[in-house]
Amino acid sequence: MQDVITVMKFTIKDMVTRKSFIISTLIILVMIVIGFNVPNIISSIKGEETETKILIVDSQNIFEGSLSLINSEDLNYEIQVGQNTFDEIKEKLENGDIDSAIIVEENENTIKMRYILENMSMMDSVPEDIITALNSLYTNVKISKLGLTEEQIKSITPNFEFEIESTGDEAQGNIFLMMFMSIALFYAIYFCAYQVSSSITTEKTSKIMETLVTSTSPKTIILGKTIGIGLVGLLQMVLLVITAYVCANAFLDKELLASVLDVSNLTIGFVLITFLYFILGYFTYAFLYALTGSTVSKPEDIQSANGPVAILAVIGFYLSYFTMLNPTSSLNAIASLLPISSPFCMPFRIMMGLANTWDIVISVLILFVTILLIAKIAIKIYSSAILNYGTKMNLKDIFKIYKDKNN
Amino acid sequence: MALVLKNVSKTFTGKKAVDNISLEINQPGVYGLLGTNGAGKTTTIRMILGIIKKDCGEITWNGKQVDRKSVNFGYLPEERGVYPKTKIYDQLMYFAKLKGMNKQDADASIKKWAQKLKVEEYLNMPAEKLSKGNQQKIQFMTAVIHNPELVVLDEPFSGLDPVNTEILKNIIIDLVKNGKYVIMSAHQMATIEEFCSDILILDKGKTVLKGNLKDIKEQYPANRVQINVNQDITKYIKEFGLEIENEKNEEFMIKLTNEEVAHKLLNRLVENKVTVNKFEIMKPTLNDIFIEKVGE
Repeated sequence: MQDVITVMKFTIKDMVTRKSFIISTLIILVMIVIGFNVPNIISSIKGEETETKILIVDSQNIFEGSLSLINSEDLNYEIQVGQNTFDEIKEKLENGDIDSAIIVEENENTIKMRYILENMSMMDSVPEDIITALNSLYTNVKISKLGLTEEQIKSITPNFEFEIESTGDEAQGNIFLMMFMSIALFYAIYFCAYQVSSSITTEKTSKIMETLVTSTSPKTIILGKTIGIGLVGLLQMVLLVITAYVCANAFLDKELLASVLDVSNLTIGFVLITFLYFILGYFTYAFLYALTGSTVSKPEDIQSANGPVAILAVIGFYLSYFTMLNPTSSLNAIASLLPISSPFCMPFRIMMGLANTWDIVISVLILFVTILLIAKIAIKIYSSAILNYGTKMNLKDIFKIYKDKNN
Repeated sequence: MALVLKNVSKTFTGKKAVDNISLEINQPGVYGLLGTNGAGKTTTIRMILGIIKKDCGEITWNGKQVDRKSVNFGYLPEERGVYPKTKIYDQLMYFAKLKGMNKQDADASIKKWAQKLKVEEYLNMPAEKLSKGNQQKIQFMTAVIHNPELVVLDEPFSGLDPVNTEILKNIIIDLVKNGKYVIMSAHQMATIEEFCSDILILDKGKTVLKGNLKDIKEQYPANRVQINVNQDITKYIKEFGLEIENEKNEEFMIKLTNEEVAHKLLNRLVENKVTVNKFEIMKPTLNDIFIEKVGE
């Protein structure tokens, strides 16, 4: 146990004092601060935010003077009504007095709206809300001529109410927050675990491993290393979350923050269970990476050796991502049981109220057994891998080493 | 205290790396493991230290199974390695702690050994900034920092310059004086001859020669005579049908088939008033014995 702590402390010190670690952490922190300031930065570049100015020209008086009423509707535009010529409009656009203009013309019973911009880009189209506003304005002008009573007008104006309901289990809670958490879990687990592989490969490529395994047991090395790197990862995560929390409170609109990050569902129990899944998920991937890291003896082989684990992680992530998009589908059962995806999707399902106690117990048990199994293989391969300074081991070699009792 | 290997063998994928070797070291000293590349020296060392399991046989230290917990050993592997980006002091402290030392003792030991090996100024540098020879000295420190009873050195002198070789030689002599058991594998026969009381020569995993170095050499008849004279004596040598192995500045190294001829040659030289400055009948060197045993 003392040795595990020694290995763990050395791993932690070695990681956090490394320049690359300090710089990359600082860059991420700076990016978070900048990210939360993007709205402020944009507005400070643009200056005071102003409404888009649209000039509507109705020289044939098709709207019978009612166009000025359009400003009373809740649109994000400043509408001007005028009788300008095309050349005058062009001049106003060039001077920046207006952002766009609409010319209303009637010929042979059709009403044509010409939407005029200074420069047209691929994305430009006539704003939907202006079309709707002009449509209803025109309808009102025409209806008012029919001499209908207030009641009659009301009865033909649709006022539908839409609601979404489902017949299956209903998901509750803040989906946005949970998706964010699941993605954060994935990145935290994946990148921390990856460090285990690179740490082991460094020891193999720098040939210190033989000295190391005669100083303590392979089990101690792998365990100490994995816990150490996990703690550094956790520390990094805590640092990022605190920075994000401080920035969100300092730079974001409070109302927006409350609606996006509704933390009312976050109970202590839920935080603990998320933490448990983080730890189990981390150990699953960390031991997988310890296994692949042990098979490599040259730095150029690291990428290809780690490839299979990366594929498993991506499959796990997408499985849980699909279940988030469709929280009540049957794919969920698979995603919650498979150890490669359950750490990412179970916290989400628990929060959505879609997992019962048995689901949690079974998924945790499966994760636990998987970890023990992978750890056993990883330690065995690691112990034997000091003899392998040649080419990268393939699956057949790994299997052979595992079965070889003489090693 | 004694290290005993009895009929130890190891096979890797059908190839016998070590075939039924036995040895016994029962007093402090340097035991030499010799052999060509791939003869099985490193495999033997790894089995002694329990890094790899033996297929059969018995390895004991004081009658106990050898493992990390029961034997306090130090090991300098053939594959040299240090943590490239970690400070020397930190890595030495790490290994000292893994070997059960507390911080104070480890600190004192690191400083003592750094002074002995003349690497004090590098303690706060990352290993990658050190020369290969200095990195090797650091690795040697990890092998001895915890004052082990048994020190295993796999090719300790390879890659060292003459100055550092001398430093390391003196340290190994000190270790023996302090009652340590040292097992050393090396290619430099002259070095082994300087240190080792007992040797074992391996060839393709098999023991070809084993025992006390002095006794072994005694068994071999003299095979050379070295003569330093003040003139050319080639004609006298040819007279006795002898072969000159090397001639330099009127110093002749002559191959011998038996000692008798050498004495006859000396008599002849004296008769002919040749001034003989040096006349030495020599036993075969370890190098000769080694080449004879595994050369073909």
